[in-house]
Amino acid sequence: MKIKDIITPFSAWSNIVKKPVTVKDPFTERPGADRYRGFHKNDVEACIGCGSCEAVCENQAIDLVPVEGIDTKKGDSGLRPLVDYGRCCWCALCVDICTTGSLTMSNEYTWVSDDPDDFRFIPGVDKKPWDNNEKGWTNPGYSLYNPERVNMEEIEPDERITNFIEIVKGYSKEQAEKEADRCVSCGICVASCPAHMDIPGYIKAIRDGNLEKGLQLLYDTNPLPEICGRVCTHRCEEVCSVGVKGDALAIRWLKRYIADNVPFEDYKRILGLDSLPEAKKHIAIIGAGPSGISAAYYLRTMGYRVTIFEAKEHPGGATMYGIPKYRLPMEMLEQEIGLLEEMGVQFRFNTMIGREVKFDELYAAYDAVFMGIGFEKPYLIAIEGEEGPGSMQAIDFLREVNEGKKPEIGNHVAVIGGGNVAMDAARVSRRLGAKVTVLYRRRIVDMPSDPEEIEGCEQEGIHIEPQTIPTRIVKDEKGNVTGIEYLKAEMVDDPKGRRPKPVPIEGSDTILEVSTVIGAIGQEAYYDFLSAEWLEKLKLERGRVVTNENMQTSIERLFAGGDSVNSTADAISAIADGHRAAKGIDALLSENE
Amino acid sequence: MIQEFKSSDDILQFAIGREQESVDLYTGLAETARNPEMRGVFEQFANEERGHKKRLQNIQSSGQFSFTPKQVQDIRIGDYLVDVEPHPGMSYQEALIVAMKKEKAAFRLYSDLAATVSDQLLRSLFSSLAQEESKHKLRFELEYDEVVLKDN
Repeated sequence: MKIKDIITPFSAWSNIVKKPVTVKDPFTERPGADRYRGFHKNDVEACIGCGSCEAVCENQAIDLVPVEGIDTKKGDSGLRPLVDYGRCCWCALCVDICTTGSLTMSNEYTWVSDDPDDFRFIPGVDKKPWDNNEKGWTNPGYSLYNPERVNMEEIEPDERITNFIEIVKGYSKEQAEKEADRCVSCGICVASCPAHMDIPGYIKAIRDGNLEKGLQLLYDTNPLPEICGRVCTHRCEEVCSVGVKGDALAIRWLKRYIADNVPFEDYKRILGLDSLPEAKKHIAIIGAGPSGISAAYYLRTMGYRVTIFEAKEHPGGATMYGIPKYRLPMEMLEQEIGLLEEMGVQFRFNTMIGREVKFDELYAAYDAVFMGIGFEKPYLIAIEGEEGPGSMQAIDFLREVNEGKKPEIGNHVAVIGGGNVAMDAARVSRRLGAKVTVLYRRRIVDMPSDPEEIEGCEQEGIHIEPQTIPTRIVKDEKGNVTGIEYLKAEMVDDPKGRRPKPVPIEGSDTILEVSTVIGAIGQEAYYDFLSAEWLEKLKLERGRVVTNENMQTSIERLFAGGDSVNSTADAISAIADGHRAAKGIDALLSENE
Repeated sequence: MIQEFKSSDDILQFAIGREQESVDLYTGLAETARNPEMRGVFEQFANEERGHKKRLQNIQSSGQFSFTPKQVQDIRIGDYLVDVEPHPGMSYQEALIVAMKKEKAAFRLYSDLAATVSDQLLRSLFSSLAQEESKHKLRFELEYDEVVLKDN
């Protein structure tokens, strides 16, 4: 050992008299840098509890928890992030991913407490001294996901009004993967989907290039993805957290991408339908619409024998007869129906219950009956002149066109109504060469139709005249329609706080010269197929069948779903009803075994 | 017709008679309705009319009557709808049209009577009855707006 090695440690003592280089005054608070990543802040009013912060955190430092006073509502889980600072590494990924921009970090980094539980708190709810601190980390302007949706190619309006070719072209692999990459997997969309589809799951399957997995996830809750991938009302997209600051994910188009890009001949293998359970009891289904098909699919996978009775020549219900082919090509339906046939589901077309087969016989012969009869009876406009040629109901008109007929509508059509059926009737009339005017009682903002349908109408040169109340269909001496008379309306508040009501303005009478009037104000169900005894037992409310949560009606072995039950009246709700009913039937029959 | 009303009691008797006619109409429709739900709807309408009748009878027996004119919203849905002849197979839409039209006719009758009498008390009583009928009409129109005109 050298002498230097012995002396050097003692020489360090000389530093004790030097001025400190780092902390000059340990008792003076040192503020963090302006962009320091300190304790979190959260604007709980702007936060929607999507959970993207929780999902991105590698340290599992964030939990979404219920907060008193914040309720779950559409597009808001009602939960808020709780941060555990024993785990947080202050990386700020949670802030960078935050889809609403509500989560930020103050530049406060010192905080002393004896209680370790104090270091687990809900920013914005548990009040902290740095809540009003303006400095700290906010998203610097970049985004961890692309806020812009991958554009969907469509046929140009000038071309599309000349034919019934499907307007939307669908995503390519590259486009679908790019769009799927925008999803933050928060899952807030799942609650808003009536079928509660695993949306983040099948979008991830696209990202992973695993379409077989994607198809399985689709069919777990929806046996008509090709249809829903085209015409779903996509309420999931309305609540998509990415849509708060950017464009919502194109969830519907991604679903379509999976269904379109898995070869149909592989479906049975992928879905495990090659060897279904041994057939046990036999279920009758009235109506081959979305709810009936959904119930049939799930019942069959549970091992039930299923027979579907359909009054018309083809299956599909409103999707087959009501939705124009430019939105839903016929072959999509045929493919999905073909799968059911391969699974062993029996179809009896042109068989109306109450006509060819009595309901009594059906109920006696089958272990349970599911009723998905849809809304086939139109509400009339109920104004003078509605009877006779030149005046028709939209559902009849759309059915005729889908059957390949070409109804005589003349050169100018007035469509009455503001829902999707009205928009379909208007756009089909346009394709048949007519000028089209839509008369709607309320404001455009009140229209129940999908916004994209309204936009489609406008692109195709269809004029929408809001706040108009039809009062009379005008005819010439031969009884031909020559016009429609209407009054302009002003909107007044509803005494019960519901949507504003249109009230006619005196003296605003106008006659619009038209050759055809198409009514599309709404529909109701026909129950004529049931005898008085059965009707006596079946509980209805405002024309809809009342069911419990299992879709069971007031008649024990009769279940129901679709438009004649739910008030949303769309395909995805009908599909969800069919699935619930299948589980309900299984529960009832298993219980009775 | 106005000569028949010599007192407020005459008017009340007349109005009570009309309410009873409504009760009879809806009860009859309930008895003949094929659809049990519609039977329930008509029974509900009949019960409402019984309530109106009872209210008038209370005024008659107590002699107590007060009237505060109030603007009742008129959204005029029933004004342009074609008449429906009551029949056993009536739909909900048709039932609402019958009810709206009936209340509108009653409103017009009492409004016309109010306009033709000179006695202040009688006019108030007719106006009060007209106001009541317009409230009933509004109730049916709001229901029609919510159910039948949901997409319009």
